[in-house]
Amino acid sequence: MITNVTLSLAWRNLWRHPRRTWLTVGAMVFSNILLVFLISLQFGMYRVMYENSLRLFTGHLQVQAVGYIDEPRMRLTIPDAAGLAARLRDAMPGNDVAARGLAFALASSADRSYGVQIVGVQPEHEPRVSSLPGLVKRGRFLDNAGMQEAVIGSVLARNLRVDLGHELTLFGTGRDGSFAAGIVHIVGILDSGSAEIDRSFVQISLADFQDIFAMQGHGHSVVLMTSDLFNLKAATAKVEAIIESGESVVHDWNALLPGLKQSVQADMVSAWFMYAVLIVLVAFSVLNTQLMSVLDRTREFGVVMALGLSPARLGRLVLLETAMMAGLGLLLGVAVGSGVVLYFYHYGLTFPGLEAMTAQFNLPGRLYPSASFASLMLGPTVVFLACLAAAIYPAAKLLRMEPVAAMRAV
Amino acid sequence: MSTVCCIDLCRFFVQGEQTVRALDHVNLEIDKREFVCLSGPSGSGKTTLLNAIGGLDKPTSGEVWVAGQRIDGLDKADLANMRLHHIGFVFQAYNLIPVLTARENVEFVMQVQGVTASERRDRSMALLKEVGLEDMEERRPAQLSGGQQQRVAVARAIVSNPAMVLADEPTANLDSVSAEHLMGLFVNLNEKHQTTFIISTHDQRVMSYARRLIGMVDGRIVTDEIR
Amino acid sequence: MTRMPVTILFRLAWRNLWRNYRRTLIMLGAITVGVWAMIFMTALMRGMVDDMVKTAVRSLPGHVQIHHPRFRDDPSIANSLPPPGEVLVDALSSDQVVGWAARVRVPAVVTSERDTRGTTLVGIDPEAESGLSFIADDMIEGRFLQSFEDDGLVVGRKMLDNLETKLGRRVVVMSQDAENEIIDRGFRVVGVFESKLETTEERFIFTGRKTVQSMLNMNEDVSEIAVVGSSYRDVSNLLRLQQVLGPEQELLPWYELDIYLGSMLTMMDGFVLIWIIVIFLALSFGLVNTLVMAVFERVREIGLMQALGMRPAMILLQILLETLLLLLVGLAAGNLLAILTLAALSDGIDLSIVSEAMQMMGVANVLYPSLQIGDIVLADVIVIVLGLIAGLFPAWRAARYQPVQALTTV
Repeated sequence: MITNVTLSLAWRNLWRHPRRTWLTVGAMVFSNILLVFLISLQFGMYRVMYENSLRLFTGHLQVQAVGYIDEPRMRLTIPDAAGLAARLRDAMPGNDVAARGLAFALASSADRSYGVQIVGVQPEHEPRVSSLPGLVKRGRFLDNAGMQEAVIGSVLARNLRVDLGHELTLFGTGRDGSFAAGIVHIVGILDSGSAEIDRSFVQISLADFQDIFAMQGHGHSVVLMTSDLFNLKAATAKVEAIIESGESVVHDWNALLPGLKQSVQADMVSAWFMYAVLIVLVAFSVLNTQLMSVLDRTREFGVVMALGLSPARLGRLVLLETAMMAGLGLLLGVAVGSGVVLYFYHYGLTFPGLEAMTAQFNLPGRLYPSASFASLMLGPTVVFLACLAAAIYPAAKLLRMEPVAAMRAV
Repeated sequence: MSTVCCIDLCRFFVQGEQTVRALDHVNLEIDKREFVCLSGPSGSGKTTLLNAIGGLDKPTSGEVWVAGQRIDGLDKADLANMRLHHIGFVFQAYNLIPVLTARENVEFVMQVQGVTASERRDRSMALLKEVGLEDMEERRPAQLSGGQQQRVAVARAIVSNPAMVLADEPTANLDSVSAEHLMGLFVNLNEKHQTTFIISTHDQRVMSYARRLIGMVDGRIVTDEIR
Repeated sequence: MTRMPVTILFRLAWRNLWRNYRRTLIMLGAITVGVWAMIFMTALMRGMVDDMVKTAVRSLPGHVQIHHPRFRDDPSIANSLPPPGEVLVDALSSDQVVGWAARVRVPAVVTSERDTRGTTLVGIDPEAESGLSFIADDMIEGRFLQSFEDDGLVVGRKMLDNLETKLGRRVVVMSQDAENEIIDRGFRVVGVFESKLETTEERFIFTGRKTVQSMLNMNEDVSEIAVVGSSYRDVSNLLRLQQVLGPEQELLPWYELDIYLGSMLTMMDGFVLIWIIVIFLALSFGLVNTLVMAVFERVREIGLMQALGMRPAMILLQILLETLLLLLVGLAAGNLLAILTLAALSDGIDLSIVSEAMQMMGVANVLYPSLQIGDIVLADVIVIVLGLIAGLFPAWRAARYQPVQALTTV
């Protein structure tokens, strides 16, 4: 039972030692601001990390031949890939679908040769499932099938010493194991920021790809972008119903890019270790303050107990005082923390060395925190609970207090 | 029925190798409306007796009955409840909760008993008036003199109509004018509210107000006179 | 009594510390946890970066590398070096150099009867490479190269899978000679290596240096000379090799060869400092609180001391001594706890549940914490210096009390 007077009694008790209370609240506010900011930044980073990584090339779902995911071999194909993509597109409106072929080949310019990854894409559909077409920095993306055009990575262009309009000769192995060769001319140079892609990607149209590598209409994957990357059950089931089972399977992004989710998990674990340390330190602060506050008031508690207040009731009073203090810390922490988050939400956060780091995870050089109720409240709520938990010991001390001894205490 | 009844009450403290007999086979009966003073030198067992009667301390042996109920075997929560409803206390010092105003201190016990706000207010104001503090109800203890603080404590002690008020050296920290004033108040309240008062003291001025004077030495009752 | 011997001050400070042992113990607990977290977390992160750098340096560049100034932009045969001359060989045999190796490294395409992959063909001298690069210790099948004239091919396990070939089979390697002519040559796979990082198993194939040199008509020329010193952390001695190099030779340390790793290391230094300071700040609130309480309780006593003739400066000193003792005991406990936990974890922390993420970051599955004296000293010094600064405020307050006022305060 908490009455008005209990509330005001608890509140006034807090301010008997304003400095002590403010220092304790200060520790909470400090941690809360840090937690609000860091957790929001984390949430924002993870979202961008998922979005960017998947949008770059992988997509949310892929249909592939059975076994292709473990051993991406030329002959593990999907028959009539473009046709399957069209059927999926019709059956699942709201999702973007594109078919692809993938091969390794030697790309030769006039003076240089490099081993490259050839990607055959559908020029009209690829821009909706991948961000790469949008990352063409010079020239343009492929616009028509069957024109022997190519878009290549910027590092590869430098290594091959080629530029827009130059020709590339591709040598490789066809689907049937035969020698495959073709000539394409470069219409675009893309700069994705991903070292792997910039160093080794050559994109040509799926039609040309099928021509050069004797694919006979086959492809290696059909990529789907759905509306929600965290809710793929329904979409997966739908795709499964449409593809001819037995030869092809559907994989979600977690299977295609297992490192992604784990990166987030690993980061989460190390981040929460650090948060836990901060929270424990705040809890120590509260423990100290509340224990002192109980010991300081031993005589007073003795008198009140003599008047007939049960120790349990006084214990609740101490918990209530703590809750008020922690509530104050939570309010101030969330308020200031939200301000900090809002600032960086608009202006972004960057520091020296960040770009080189973030490029590894397909993140931009400027990080933006995400501001949601959860991201703002999660940390401070845990701090609040930890503070209450820390007050249990001082509150429990009251249960063992004897009124007569307490009144005699100095 | 008597208000307080002690039968063969003993309370021993072990201090080092010595056993201090703070109460040594005390037998005592106090009736309703009595105004009793416990007197004796310090260490004679006055405070221990008061604590035993008030349920603040457990006797080593013997029985304590308050308002027809045997209390020496009760647990902490029941004792707290018994004190809350049947006993008012006035201590030597540190009587009040420093963060509450005079009126809030008086209301505090009623609050815990669950008395409604308007009734609390009326009764506390009436009592503060009765103890002569009607203009000071919004002051905090630090803004009151020692005598005024004790009067607030008295108001708090009787506000819920307890069967008895236990006062342990209530005048020890007061000047003689304040002490006279406080004792006058006790007598007044005893007559008006018919509350039993048990006051421990070694102050002659206080004893002169007593209608029953119990003298204690070394944990035993040595004199018991009605005046 | 204006000048008190330091021993008395120490004794006073020490006894005062234990007057309220609960409060002191709680504060010590907080300092211990904080210091433990500082050192433990730092060691974990150091271990992680250590592993990244060591793996990267071993699988590639050496601590410093000499190559043609244009080689990094255009890693082709055209940008080769003449073999190291007498002066350079002399300089390389100094004590600072633990090992060095001249390599030929060219982009290549490898083709089996089944598939084609782009890769890098590295021609090495196995004797010079021992202890320098990784492959000799990680052979899982067949044999390692036996001399710089060996014409067998050593490939990664992943590459072998990709090519669907086997030990003992022949593959064709295509590359370019100095005249930009495409040269192909058959090789027999004589050995298979394994690496902690899958990408390494695909990125490199190895054969004898002389074999590549004659295949590509490059005489005795080499692509790079990798040099390893005693530690990757300090390569300044190795950078002095620059003095004996000609204009067509460039010397770069590993952190410039791999900017991601370099910036990772710099950022880690910054992060360690921020982490230590954040933890300290979280601690400081409780520290100041504890000291303020300690001073507040002793107002009368301090007044008495002043009345007895103790100068304010002495009182200030006494409170600071108390702070120092508190910090020292906490630091000792924190350091000890950290060293013990790290010793218990010295066999490594198994991170295989997030192994894919570790691969993505270029880290192995087992994390070995790396405890560095410098980090411990940094943490301890920061805590002592900032802790004493935090103690100044309560100490200054105590020294400012007026004796009479202090004596009459209850």
